[in-house]
Amino acid sequence: MSGLGRAGAVLRRRAARLLPADRRDWAEAVWAEAREVPPGPRRLAWRAGGTWMVARETLMRRRVGSAVLFAVAAAAAAWVAWPTSPASSATPGDRVYVITMVLLAGLPLLARPFLGPAGGSRAARFLRAGTCAAVLALIPAQTAVEQFAYTPPGGGTDLRVYQLIQSQPGNDPWTLQLISLIIMALYVPAIIWMTSRRARIAPATLAAGTGAGIALGLVMYAVAPLGLSKDATNPWLPGSDIDPLVLLAWLLVFCSPVAAAIIADRRYTALSSSPAPTGAVRQVVAAALLTSLTGALSVTVLGFGTTATMLKAAWLRNWLYHGPHLLYGVQNLSSALSTPSAIAYSHELTGSSDTTTFLLICIAFPLIALPLTGWAALSAWAGGVAAPGGPGRGSGPGPEPAPEPPDGGQPAVTVDNVSLAADLAALPGPREPGPATEQDQIVANLADAGLGPLRGLWRPDPLGRESVAP
Amino acid sequence: LADTTPRQHWIYLCRVLDVKRRSGFSKQTLSVLAALCEEPSRWSHGYALAGQTGLKSGTLYPILIRLADQGLVEACWQDETAPGRPRRHLYRLTADGLAAAATALAATYMLAGADVAEQTAPASTRATRAGASALARVMQ
Repeated sequence: MSGLGRAGAVLRRRAARLLPADRRDWAEAVWAEAREVPPGPRRLAWRAGGTWMVARETLMRRRVGSAVLFAVAAAAAAWVAWPTSPASSATPGDRVYVITMVLLAGLPLLARPFLGPAGGSRAARFLRAGTCAAVLALIPAQTAVEQFAYTPPGGGTDLRVYQLIQSQPGNDPWTLQLISLIIMALYVPAIIWMTSRRARIAPATLAAGTGAGIALGLVMYAVAPLGLSKDATNPWLPGSDIDPLVLLAWLLVFCSPVAAAIIADRRYTALSSSPAPTGAVRQVVAAALLTSLTGALSVTVLGFGTTATMLKAAWLRNWLYHGPHLLYGVQNLSSALSTPSAIAYSHELTGSSDTTTFLLICIAFPLIALPLTGWAALSAWAGGVAAPGGPGRGSGPGPEPAPEPPDGGQPAVTVDNVSLAADLAALPGPREPGPATEQDQIVANLADAGLGPLRGLWRPDPLGRESVAP
Repeated sequence: LADTTPRQHWIYLCRVLDVKRRSGFSKQTLSVLAALCEEPSRWSHGYALAGQTGLKSGTLYPILIRLADQGLVEACWQDETAPGRPRRHLYRLTADGLAAAATALAATYMLAGADVAEQTAPASTRATRAGASALARVMQ
């Protein structure tokens, strides 16, 4: 073997070590098989394919890809958000906030040994990735807003406006930052836990909770893009308390957790062969809680993002504050708003201060959902216990939603089904059609045999043929 | 389906085509399963499978890894080897793998006559047809 060949062999062995222990055999297999490939371009291509496999398996198994992506996004968020202004009283707290939030965003990676990997469903992965993205997006938005809100102007009318607005009680940056960190420290682990395999939350539950939560968040955001100070920030509403959008928002606040819980319970009952009451309660609680969490997180991220954008974009500020600015509760402010620049500054400062409303939403939504969740859980439990062995409900501790099979997963089938499949293989294709009844009978037999891969065959027949319908 | 209307025929075809979408196996995976089905009891090595399926090593081995993870393929190292040659890694279908391959290949084979299958997946159609016919021989 030439020196180049030996170096290549060493490199290949080193590359194989990048793989997890249970995958190294496969790399060795590719390298060993390369000796059977004719020398030249074909052997080179074989080894290139092996290298590609090693790289792919390494990235997939070690989660290097997601870790790198997260590191880049987190670094970008921290770099954009990192506060440097010594004039702002929020700077020290914002630095703590940025660091803590980056750690929270990385919780799916950092806490993997404790919380386990994400569930195999797309809903779980989407929810985890979405939560991580939301937290990362919140970092620069909230920091920009707080930096603006707690940096006193150099002087003049703006300083007077600042003193009038920021002297309101409860305007302490440390308190607000601490509250927001506590909220996020509860939100993120809760969502990560619900999307983990160990939590045994069904994908349908995650989808129902996430969908309802996002709908709730979007409607809440449409009602109050800069907080709930209706007097200042409802560009698309006439400012009435009985506006249909406001009514819809109120309706969703109370009904969306219940709706998600009902959907989750029904899906769990329909999809599980013997659903247990405890499993149903778990799905119900998770769906309702997830609705409130994702709803509050959505409106918070969107609200802080809009406020931060407003500080940079005058057109957005003018659009959001299209009407007379009442600036309720701030005494003697009207006399200070003598120039357009002072009015603009007062709008920006008021909008920044109103973002505390989103923290209230983050506290209120789960509190509202809790009693509703309890009620839905009790209903699910009562339904499960009242119908032991009934259709769709089991009496004992039935199986939880089965974890989804791995990528491209194929439900296991028993070898007894092989003859059935061979029967199917022997059927003439559509070009050489056989009797419809015979084909349909075999299709129905497949359905009875529970062949997962062929489930598509036995959905209700639009023609109503009994032999096909289950 | 001789006595069915064209609409009934089309609805039937749509139902059947849904099998392929839901089977969970890609065309490449189906071709590997078909190759392994040729002689299910015999161990195959990677280069032979690559030759049978036309897949490159960078595609073939990840498929084998997934199938092994799902318990559909078993792998082992060759016991005896010629002097100066490395041991080879060998693969064959497990019982579950044979059953899963049979159902997936059979369902796909049923589509083989459809023009749409011929147009969209000629390679996999050929492979699965061969696999299914081989499977039928084994079953007999």
